[in-house]
Amino acid sequence: MKKYALKRILLSLFTLLVILLVLFILMQLMPGSPFNDEKLNAEQKANLYAKYGLDQPVIVQFFRYVGHMLTGDFGVSYNISKNTPISQLIQTRLPISIGIGGMAVAIGAIVGLVLGIISAIWHDTFVDTIATIISVIGVSVPSYVFALALSYSFGFRLRWFPMLFTAKQMFSSSVLPSIALSMFTMASIARFTRSEMLEVLGSEYMLLAESKGLSGPALIFRHALRNALIPIITVLAPLIVDLMTGSLVVEKIFAIPGVGSLLVTAIQSNDYNVVIALSFIYSAMYIGIMLIVDILYGIIDPRIRLAKKEGAA
Amino acid sequence: MKKAKTAVALSLAAALIVGMAGCGPANTSSSTSGKAGKSSTDLNVMSETEVESLDPQIATDGTSFEVIADYMDGLMQMDSSGKTVQAIAQSYEVSADGKTYTFHLRKDVKWSNGDPVTAADFVFGWQRAVDPANASEYAYMLSDIGQVKNAQEIIDKKADKSTLGVTAVDDYTLKVELNVPVSFFPSLMYFPTYYPMNEKFFKSCNGKYGTSPSTTLSNGAFILDSYEPAATSFHLKKNDKYYDASRIKLSGLNYQVIKDSQQALMSYQTNTLDTTLLNGDQVDQVKNDPTFKSVGAGCLWYIAPNMSAVPALANQDLRLAMTFALNRESITKDVLKDGSTPTYTAVPPQFATSPDGKDFSADQKKYSDFCADDAAKAKSYYEKAKKELNANSFKFKLVVDADDAPQKVAQVVKEQLEKTLPGMTIDLVIEPKKQRVEDMQDGKFEIGLTRWGPDYADPMTYLSMWVTKNSNNYGLWSDADYDTIIKRCSSGDLCTKPTDRWNAMYDAEKIVLQQAAIYPLYTQCNVEMVSAKVKGIAYHPIALNRVFKDAEKTS
Repeated sequence: MKKYALKRILLSLFTLLVILLVLFILMQLMPGSPFNDEKLNAEQKANLYAKYGLDQPVIVQFFRYVGHMLTGDFGVSYNISKNTPISQLIQTRLPISIGIGGMAVAIGAIVGLVLGIISAIWHDTFVDTIATIISVIGVSVPSYVFALALSYSFGFRLRWFPMLFTAKQMFSSSVLPSIALSMFTMASIARFTRSEMLEVLGSEYMLLAESKGLSGPALIFRHALRNALIPIITVLAPLIVDLMTGSLVVEKIFAIPGVGSLLVTAIQSNDYNVVIALSFIYSAMYIGIMLIVDILYGIIDPRIRLAKKEGAA
Repeated sequence: MKKAKTAVALSLAAALIVGMAGCGPANTSSSTSGKAGKSSTDLNVMSETEVESLDPQIATDGTSFEVIADYMDGLMQMDSSGKTVQAIAQSYEVSADGKTYTFHLRKDVKWSNGDPVTAADFVFGWQRAVDPANASEYAYMLSDIGQVKNAQEIIDKKADKSTLGVTAVDDYTLKVELNVPVSFFPSLMYFPTYYPMNEKFFKSCNGKYGTSPSTTLSNGAFILDSYEPAATSFHLKKNDKYYDASRIKLSGLNYQVIKDSQQALMSYQTNTLDTTLLNGDQVDQVKNDPTFKSVGAGCLWYIAPNMSAVPALANQDLRLAMTFALNRESITKDVLKDGSTPTYTAVPPQFATSPDGKDFSADQKKYSDFCADDAAKAKSYYEKAKKELNANSFKFKLVVDADDAPQKVAQVVKEQLEKTLPGMTIDLVIEPKKQRVEDMQDGKFEIGLTRWGPDYADPMTYLSMWVTKNSNNYGLWSDADYDTIIKRCSSGDLCTKPTDRWNAMYDAEKIVLQQAAIYPLYTQCNVEMVSAKVKGIAYHPIALNRVFKDAEKTS
């Protein structure tokens, strides 16, 4: 198990380095420059390029960037917040995005599981139909539509929750964005749980377990859910990453000072350093989640762990 | 089995409730909290974008300028009508040749750390603006526009920044030397690039100036008391030590950045905001609201044909046919509906006033022989052009910003041109604004829909754009007579003769329109909502779009 985990970790680190290189090359290939305000003339542009070292050859820029990055220095912003270190820009924003994203994952996973289990147990009934309709809506309607609908109904009409994010009312102003973000996760999880549970419930070992006299929660949770969980975890991981991308628009609507809205602004204004730093962080999170999932497989399903061990020996 | 199901359902429901209640986001410490108490007279203000920089010499965007001017004063300021009046300078003298300005500073102006504001602070600030090491994007405010002595040489690294033509004669006297007389020089003084900077304080910030309240120094109406870089909400409180403190009625300003205009409108309607900017699309929703206001933004939208890259567009009759074929009335009335006005001059109205106090472009019919909504004239020029070019059909690509309003306008422009000039086909190319600007500057376009906002209160802010080889002369149009007039007006003999200069600028403008070097479309208006409880917000098309010094709010 240890060897397996170590291998996964090393592979992840290598992937990250490759991603950074690709990001860097992509930024160089991208048309446009961070300094293309219509009011700039050629000398001023040259001065700006010199100031930020962008007049150097690409390869020099890359190694210098990697060198700085290893010491935690992601450079400064060119446009969004001129000359501000990116680490300073991100440090207050990342916790807000992760907080709202985490809340959304939790809501989505829990509600999704519940819906899925309910519709599997009572499948082909009225309850199942309702749950299916909810999941279809959740999967097909984009999160910003939910965001606008929630904001209009609960923020503007009923005034239960603030329409805009405020640090003072951190929790209440996070509720609407989290729910809006969680809809897709919830719907996807509900659908997968339902189909996985149906398969497991119909299997022979469930029949055996039931005939052995097991019943109630023990039967469902210990035998059915645990077996259904593996594929669910597999879909949950990319969904978490989807949440981060979904948050780009939702953050804009609720005026949340998170990294998603920062990334959108950075891309629009060619703020290279911010784009690279945030894309890198997103990649790192994605790879980190995948790593955790890989390791979780081994814990939840001993067969995977054992198979690896035998394969290694 | 039935019992099992009920038990499962119950436990799941319990898990659901616990799960939803238990997972709030991490409680991060943040300094962005507003202090909008109910009884205070804080004005709740919406901003479309974040502040890009609080460093007055580095900032370039409207939001940054507005916020900097909330807590900083320059030598001069604008009154509510936009006229240049004294701020930190209590008086100034101009030498007989118009090339030396001497400003006398008030002695009661203090930085918020207690230091007095002195002439040396201005020298330090101005030197920062042209220092190539800072690479300030608005350095040209001092060089091209202000014509401060040696500014261009310093930017080009041919002279040291200490040679800049600004000196502190004593603590409260500032002498400025210019290359040529600049009649509107005092009006540049409210532009934040010309604001002072406390050298000692700046150096103590170790490069972090303007990134938090403690690395920001105020000498103006308000003091920044909560802010972080690119914050989506921040707050300023009234500066009780401001030299003109009795003028300030608000207890503070509470900024909220909202990028979604529908959210902004709803926030305004629930009284979270006292004033907000809206999108032109929302005019229909609010046009019956008495608090709806249309505010002139001073920006000219126009179409630039690329005369050097597209042979057909080098034909003047074809260009004139196109400019006459446009129906500007319909664009502003039926499409934009936000108060924007049709414009038939190369310099838009309402920002530049003549030596005797008249608006430069008040007369929109002045050039109606070359620029008007006139389909009949368009058709006759079109027939001429077709013969000269020996062609019956033309196909052009119109490049346009990926924003709502420009796209809608471009769509109508396309319909108007294609309908009035049969045989002409216009294809729209939609690009992000920054990309569109770059493509146009590089000459990689056929026709472009673009805009220009005035930087200072003189028609030259537009006219200097169309001289040969200027980077914003997108169509690479060139006319020797035009270049001569502009040169005489900006650095030649006409600098000291305001009335002659004024008339010469009309001559120059006429050449632009006569040759249809650009097709002016409309002058932009912004849609603002201002609560009935609020009065006194000053709106300006130049430099500082909103000024809150005279704003009042009844609670």
